[in-house]
Amino acid sequence: MSIGNDELTVGYMLMKHGVSRRGFIKYCTAVASTMALPPWMGPAMAEQLRSAARPCVVYLSFQECTGCLESLTRSFAPTIEDLIFNTISLDYNDTLMAAAGEAAESARAKAMKDNFGKYVLVVDGSVPTGAGGAYCTAGGRTAVETLREAAKGAAAIVCVGSCAAFGGIAFADPNPTSAWPVSAIVEDKPIVNVSGCPPIPEVMTGTLLQFFSTGQVPDLDQHRRPKAFFGTTIHDRCYRRPFYDQGKFAKTFDDEGARNGWCLYELGCKGPTTYNACATLKWNGGVSFPIQSGHGCLGCAEPGFWDKGSFYSALSTPAWGKAGETAPHRVLELTAGAAAVGAVLGAASAGLSRLRQHEREVDEDRTRS
Amino acid sequence: MARPVSRLAEIPVRIEPAAQGAEPCAGLGGGVAALLAELAALLAGLTDSGRPAAIDLRSLPMSPQDRGELERALGEGEVRATIQADGVSIVRETGISGVWWVEHRNARGELMAELLEVAHVPEILASSVDEVAAAARALQARLGLSHATMSARSET
Amino acid sequence: MDLLTFARGPALKAALVIFCVGVVWRIAGFALLRLRRDLNAPRASIGKFMAGGLKAVGTRSWPHPEFIPRTGAGEALGYSYHIGLFIVVLMFGPHITFLGSLVGFTWPGLPSSLITIVSVLTLTLFLAVLFRRLTHPVLRMLSNFDDYFSWLVTALVLATGLAAVAHIGAPYERLLAWHILSVDLLLVWFPFGKLMHAFYLVPSRAINGALLSRKGAIS
Repeated sequence: MSIGNDELTVGYMLMKHGVSRRGFIKYCTAVASTMALPPWMGPAMAEQLRSAARPCVVYLSFQECTGCLESLTRSFAPTIEDLIFNTISLDYNDTLMAAAGEAAESARAKAMKDNFGKYVLVVDGSVPTGAGGAYCTAGGRTAVETLREAAKGAAAIVCVGSCAAFGGIAFADPNPTSAWPVSAIVEDKPIVNVSGCPPIPEVMTGTLLQFFSTGQVPDLDQHRRPKAFFGTTIHDRCYRRPFYDQGKFAKTFDDEGARNGWCLYELGCKGPTTYNACATLKWNGGVSFPIQSGHGCLGCAEPGFWDKGSFYSALSTPAWGKAGETAPHRVLELTAGAAAVGAVLGAASAGLSRLRQHEREVDEDRTRS
Repeated sequence: MARPVSRLAEIPVRIEPAAQGAEPCAGLGGGVAALLAELAALLAGLTDSGRPAAIDLRSLPMSPQDRGELERALGEGEVRATIQADGVSIVRETGISGVWWVEHRNARGELMAELLEVAHVPEILASSVDEVAAAARALQARLGLSHATMSARSET
Repeated sequence: MDLLTFARGPALKAALVIFCVGVVWRIAGFALLRLRRDLNAPRASIGKFMAGGLKAVGTRSWPHPEFIPRTGAGEALGYSYHIGLFIVVLMFGPHITFLGSLVGFTWPGLPSSLITIVSVLTLTLFLAVLFRRLTHPVLRMLSNFDDYFSWLVTALVLATGLAAVAHIGAPYERLLAWHILSVDLLLVWFPFGKLMHAFYLVPSRAINGALLSRKGAIS
């Protein structure tokens, strides 16, 4: 790459912002390490990306809380991650970009037209379809329309956060806005779901980086999440696993067991059924993750996690109905009611039997006499 | 199930001193020997075909005892290089020729990656071809000399 | 709704209701029955024949010495896997949590790795018991659908539980869902088959013993 020759390469953009070739190699080596890729892929990724033309990314936000974008821009290496998003790639992001209104929209339209068929569409937030899509409109157009239009020219769609990936909190019962995940609206493009509420920032950028450097969608699981980050459960990598194996569980928050760091299974931890990288990558640059801080996993990277029973009921407990319906006294009411029905049926059966017995005895008495 | 506390004031407060003498956590154990065996194989590869390789140390669970054991096993070489690029990186030659211990840290000093590279010289130390070409052009421009004159001079 | 949520949710609710209705129905239906009127004079006082009943629960819990060579092995197998089942069901942390959510109190459990060993042993005994039933000519002749289905329904719970803990065969959440569904099936089948022996065993032996004591025939 020679300076002044091709201004739109990633390498040039990086250099303009003070990230040297070696700095970028370091960063890609770290990303390769977090994705458990072979170490040689780090420098290879770096070289590939530096000489690659600056990829175009359009970031659309729909029915979301902006937590995913906040997570990304508060990543532990804000220079690099923020950089990747802001300068290397981001042609449209209504939260981060300086332009607004018509100027922003025409910038997006131009980027989409110039890079038709090649840009990456990053989406966060679910897509409401209720009331004709009126629950989420921007610039006079509904989210559904905007998504469908943007998807036409996208090379791939990366759904960031559980809302875009699976519908998230809006999708939870009773789903008043008829929200749907992106994959329910767009069915003819490769989709990568980077779920989590929010996702770990390194997971988001690692996935994008791998996509940009290889040009291919990474290996995905059955929910279309990158296996590199979502291949194992929290439980499989949890540092409190020895306590689970020994049967040492914390019974309430802040009891002896909790203070000793015992397993949080009984306090509702959904670690065994949740696939994410929290136990290995952790949050805030490897500082901690929910279980390490004493709270069970919510299962936020899984589809429909809001409707899977209380966050504080263990996986082996009943989880039917609305909140509170499976409290012990309510369950007792249910079983007592069922027992009452059973008692009535039993009395009826016994009554019938006694009646028949009585008739038989009357018969016997008659034949004997 | 113990009765759950429902008010903040009900949680009893107890002050405990910091845990003394935390137990060493499980790590490589005998894995240092395995690591050395892998390095031997990679070095053989380097000698035979000139092919560099690396082992990602972050992917291996290492307790402080394991690290110490690994450092002792590898020993110290003659070269120690510091790279200042978005934070400090340290490239140390170990006592085993061709095995380099590379530590990458970000601008805040946090460890980003740690590798054992098997190479004649770790790639990150070398200057890249295109950067050298660009630098040559820039320097020539600075000195106000043409490329032809520079080549002629270097051949004599 | 995914399989696991269904298994722990509506399926478990329905199964628990059917279990409660069915078990209480059968127990009440049996408890409220009248004994056949006995025109003989009682050979012992009421107190004596009640005591005889309780004694029978104990004496009928193991074969008489002359029968041990023929049935001892079967009895020992049976007791062994029952003990195994009780340990696994009642002493494993997540199971204690489940039962605790139904009855409102919990108890201390055993290390989970120990439970795994006991489950493997119990499942092996289960297979041995089926083998015995299929190869013993008398047992095979006596066995009906109830025998085999009750065996299957319990063995499924054991096998799916082990598979879930060992993460074999499918992603964990699906294995857990199958395990809970197999428990739901067990709960639904329980009141209608021979599994009711759990509730009938003691009363049945006691009543038989009491009746025999009344006739003066208890040994």
